[in-house]
Amino acid sequence: MKPRVGIFSLTGCAGDQLQILNMEDELLDLVSHIHIVDFQEGSSHKEEGPIDVAFVEGSVSTETDLKHLKEIRERSKILIAFGNCAVEGGIQAMRNKEGSIDGRLKDVYGVETGFFDAKLSKPLSEYVEVDLNIPGCPVEKEETLRAITSLLHGDLPPSFTYPVCVECKLNEYPCVIVESGKPCLGPVIRAGCDARCPGLGLDCIGCRGPVDSASGFAAEFSMLLEKGYSKEYILNRLRVFSGEVKEGFLGGEEL
Amino acid sequence: MTRRLTVDMLTRVEGHGGVEVVLDGDEVKDVKFNIFEGPRFFESIIKTVNYEKIPDMTRRICAICTASHSLASIGAIENAFGVENTPQTELLRDLLIHGEMIESHALHVYMLALPDFLGYPDAIAMSADHIDAVKNALALKKTGNMIHTTLSGREVHGMNERVGGFSKIPTEEELTKVKKMLEKVQPAAELAVELFKGFDLPAYNESDNVLMAIDPGERFGYLGTHVLVSGGERHPQEDYMKLTNEKVYRHSYAKHSSYNGGPIMVGALPRVHLSHDKLTGTARELYKEHSDMVDPRNTLSNNFCQALELAHDVERGVETIDALLSDGLEEEGLAEFEAHEGRGINAVEAPRGLLYHDYSFDEDGCITKANIITPTAQNAANIEKDIRVIAVNHVGEDAELMNDIEVMIRAYDPCISCSVHLVRLR
Repeated sequence: MKPRVGIFSLTGCAGDQLQILNMEDELLDLVSHIHIVDFQEGSSHKEEGPIDVAFVEGSVSTETDLKHLKEIRERSKILIAFGNCAVEGGIQAMRNKEGSIDGRLKDVYGVETGFFDAKLSKPLSEYVEVDLNIPGCPVEKEETLRAITSLLHGDLPPSFTYPVCVECKLNEYPCVIVESGKPCLGPVIRAGCDARCPGLGLDCIGCRGPVDSASGFAAEFSMLLEKGYSKEYILNRLRVFSGEVKEGFLGGEEL
Repeated sequence: MTRRLTVDMLTRVEGHGGVEVVLDGDEVKDVKFNIFEGPRFFESIIKTVNYEKIPDMTRRICAICTASHSLASIGAIENAFGVENTPQTELLRDLLIHGEMIESHALHVYMLALPDFLGYPDAIAMSADHIDAVKNALALKKTGNMIHTTLSGREVHGMNERVGGFSKIPTEEELTKVKKMLEKVQPAAELAVELFKGFDLPAYNESDNVLMAIDPGERFGYLGTHVLVSGGERHPQEDYMKLTNEKVYRHSYAKHSSYNGGPIMVGALPRVHLSHDKLTGTARELYKEHSDMVDPRNTLSNNFCQALELAHDVERGVETIDALLSDGLEEEGLAEFEAHEGRGINAVEAPRGLLYHDYSFDEDGCITKANIITPTAQNAANIEKDIRVIAVNHVGEDAELMNDIEVMIRAYDPCISCSVHLVRLR
């Protein structure tokens, strides 16, 4: 029997499920191997009942998101946090350590608390058990396809445990920090993108989230300070895709 | 007795939205286009961030209009600092925005909207009987994505287009490869027009619409500095606040726009209706042949207009690549400029309509204030107007009514996750 798969989205840009639709060459073959029970963006067909593999993109940013996530968890054998919003809380978690949700509601919508059911943006793991993370903003198509293939064979796919710097060196790209003084986050960000940004002469902005080992952050922080970037500039950079990383990761700075 | 009809979750649209219609017998008591996508507060979180990283952040408002957001954002920054771009940069940006239209329209026209008209729940089910249509869609989509990848670095949330130009210029070989793909999918684009010309525009969806689109200049396109409004008005993009007067509603994180107190429509129908005389080549011929399908009083025309734009986009892409190749590509680096205190406003056409970015900067070039108005936010009030129109005109079963409403909403190609982080209230 084909595995029952659900593709769900909470708060985000829907870019991770779009990456599934972007597999133009593989899509028809892929869907012949799975049974899709829920894919709101792509289909009006929907089934109740148990799910073998749930892909969940987006962060938990409203009470409705949280309720939806808990329902999905209850139905699913394997739950995948799909993309940076689901894994790290996403770009919308960037200011979680500064100010309040009420302040932002007032700032953007001009209304006071109680008007909406908004919450601070959190990753899925804050509320439910997550079986697999597929990081990235957006997720890489190849990594996603590899993960699906592994799951079809009953395995969990391997994840990247080293930083972007490793892939940059393997490609023999000139180091954008050393050569052009750009504030590259490659030393502390999870690999798996084949160092795409340094390949274009650009600094890594960190869209795959931090590597598991925390040790690099303090060094990155002080290196960028030495290069003349202000503390506010560096924090704004490190936080874009890692708003929820723990305090100690950022060089022990009080934030 | 009153009855409340709902669509709890719209499907085959980007983001999370629903519909509510309250009827008393045949009388329409209330209609709502509900948006329950969570808010992301982009205008608030980008404050204090240096201009250089702003497009990398704001393009993430939307995946399917990522290049539109990035170009709107880059343009607003360039307008604030007075950046002058080279003709090569202008051509590459024109190619990029046309690539985005191809990718987005192929997905919407063929895979999200077409199943409504052929009677399937989705494109995969449709592929059992209409495999050619689905393969055409995928080939077109792939071509649009190839333009993204070649110019921007990847399909979704690229990075290569920057303030002042492109970080890395594509090679002649890469552009020639894209050109070949474009030539190959031209028939697939024209087939979309053939398919949609056959679906009648139902009378139950007719009403007056105020249409708005960018003035593309001499030729049909998606970049410009002025906004056209039906009735012959033309406004500089800096007047956008007047054109999109916004209000907060309790049932929606998206604010609703209005102009002169009434709803407005943006998107492919406004673009084609207001600038059809600027179409060239095949798209011009197809327009002449099927101009009855472009009805400004019927928003369901939007599907046909997207198909027509596909024909334009593919042909224009080839022309732009020819121009780039004949001029010779040059690694010219980014334009030089100095950041300073100031404000910049920029409008572009995203696949689903006008998009505005407005930024204010301090003397270091960091954001002090931002305002972003997306197409679906502008369309929200018009969608509610159309729900009411259909509900009033409707005779027959309730289920059929809700289905007709869902088909109408889908025709707008709404991008709901885009629409929720809108304007600040002053």
